[in-house]
Amino acid sequence: MLRELVSPNSSALRLLLFVFLFAPESSTSAWIWGSMQPSARDMQVHGKTAASLNGIAASSDQIALPELQNGHGSQTPFDHGGSVGHDDFLDQMLSGLRSPWAELGATKSPWDAPDSEGPTAAQRIFGVGKEAEDGLPYAPFDESALLANRLRQYQISGGSSPVGKAMMLPLSHHGQQQMLATSGDSGFLPLPLTLGSCGSVDSPNSTVGDGLYNGFSGALQHTESANQHTFPHPQQGAPMLGQNFGAAPLAPGLTQAPAAAVSASASAGGGGTGPPRQKVRARRGQATDPHSIAERLRRERIAERMKALQELVPNANKTDKASMLDEIIDYVKFLQLQVKVLSMSRLGGAAAVAPLVADMSSEGQSSAGRAVCAAGGSSDSLTVTEHQVAKLMEEDMGSAMQYLQGKGLCLMPISLASAISSATSSFHRPHSSSSATLGHLHPLPNAGSCDPPSSPAASALSAHSAMANGAADAAKDTIVVSKG
Amino acid sequence: MVALRFLRALSLVRCSGPGARSPSYRARGIRRAAYACMAASAGPRRAWSRALLRKIRRRPGRGLRRPRAVIRRRRPVGGGDPLEVALRRLVPGGGCMEYCRLLEEAADYVKCLAMQVRLMQTIVDSASHVNSID
Repeated sequence: MLRELVSPNSSALRLLLFVFLFAPESSTSAWIWGSMQPSARDMQVHGKTAASLNGIAASSDQIALPELQNGHGSQTPFDHGGSVGHDDFLDQMLSGLRSPWAELGATKSPWDAPDSEGPTAAQRIFGVGKEAEDGLPYAPFDESALLANRLRQYQISGGSSPVGKAMMLPLSHHGQQQMLATSGDSGFLPLPLTLGSCGSVDSPNSTVGDGLYNGFSGALQHTESANQHTFPHPQQGAPMLGQNFGAAPLAPGLTQAPAAAVSASASAGGGGTGPPRQKVRARRGQATDPHSIAERLRRERIAERMKALQELVPNANKTDKASMLDEIIDYVKFLQLQVKVLSMSRLGGAAAVAPLVADMSSEGQSSAGRAVCAAGGSSDSLTVTEHQVAKLMEEDMGSAMQYLQGKGLCLMPISLASAISSATSSFHRPHSSSSATLGHLHPLPNAGSCDPPSSPAASALSAHSAMANGAADAAKDTIVVSKG
Repeated sequence: MVALRFLRALSLVRCSGPGARSPSYRARGIRRAAYACMAASAGPRRAWSRALLRKIRRRPGRGLRRPRAVIRRRRPVGGGDPLEVALRRLVPGGGCMEYCRLLEEAADYVKCLAMQVRLMQTIVDSASHVNSID
């Protein structure tokens, strides 16, 4: 396991793994912050996670120390001295706890649990809220996406260490409250950033370990200085959180990293879920394996589809695949709910439209057989129809409706027609010519049956002349013809 | 086009039982009509539209299934990702598709759903507008 960490190839791998690690982990950690309100349940829960975090920190500590002993750990003597001074602090921190966090981090099972508990608390804390109709845990996902985004940016730019140090400074300046308030991402950033910075340094072997340890102890030192006043507090929650602040992001990363590195390197093909597999693409640069080629192709197609989906769904600024999927799922649920609600509210509102059409349909069923095909789509038939309808309207609305129904037309308010055409025009854009083109009439096939999907051209004919003859609601009526 | 289909279906629902049925029954009928129109206008080329129409037409307690050679569940799903499983459940016909096909179908489904919602909203708005004017 040490070899995995030390080897230079895996450093980049681990950096990448941090990205997807923090996606689930930061949600839990954000949830930890969110559940700072003292409640029995919260205490118990984040006590457990704090415990598991410490378990990881213990393992990371063991890993990092041998690296120091190799003699490369002299980058900052402060850290050495700090390490000695911090060891007992570390031990104190790491004393209680075992590895529930290992399972917690590894299996991503708390993905569902924190989702249910986290959102309200997280939203309360962070003040991030989407609309009530969604009512979902956006705060943790935002942070994870934010983190992933920033991490990626920093990786691209080479991850300079001054950046890392600059990021770590705010950590010390914030009080504990602020550390909570500014959310986990600013805290999570320093560690992977120092990791990244050390990873980009030339000497490969132990700088990664150094980076780990430096970041770890550095963050610890900052957190400890910031939390001095809270340390002697008897209550478990706050100081544990403050101390775990440094341990938390690093620790799950470390356990996850060797596990995932092992799994990634072991399973060459490794089908299954998309998100973790995509991160190991850099490692498998060799394209000799047909399985890996097919795998990469599949992944690319999935990425394409995800991008297309991202454009459809609003609020598509999430970079993380899991959060994007979640967004999509919520949007689909929301749309289905809207259909349901609209169908319930439709009942009264449809009264204005339906009776006209209803009369037609009840009386027009018999007449549907005859006069199926009017003349072809020439403008002559249009005006003829218009005049005919106008004449019929003078006598009796019902007969006019009957005539229209026989022709396969229907009557609807202009506002509705224009609104509908505008609403559906964007959808039918590829089919072209779907927007209302005045003065163009197409005969319709029989009503009620499944129309063959011929060219779905929608046309609208506004029978202003007919209306001018004094039919009711003259200004608002129009004859709409559509086909397909 | 979906608008006309939907309006026709709506009129059918209305005149089938004006006041004879409970409002919830009518609401369900309207919702079913909406989905049916959406699926019908999307065309048979989409897996979700076929599955949706199948689901709708199967509803009237048809116990006798035709012995058609329908290839169902070509590949059983290894539901490891809870998100993926949820998406499969949401998109009609999403149980037997591969993942990237699922994403494709989901995109189309979302597009059609959004348009249907916009259409229904438009109808409601204009209808209420007409009422308010009168």
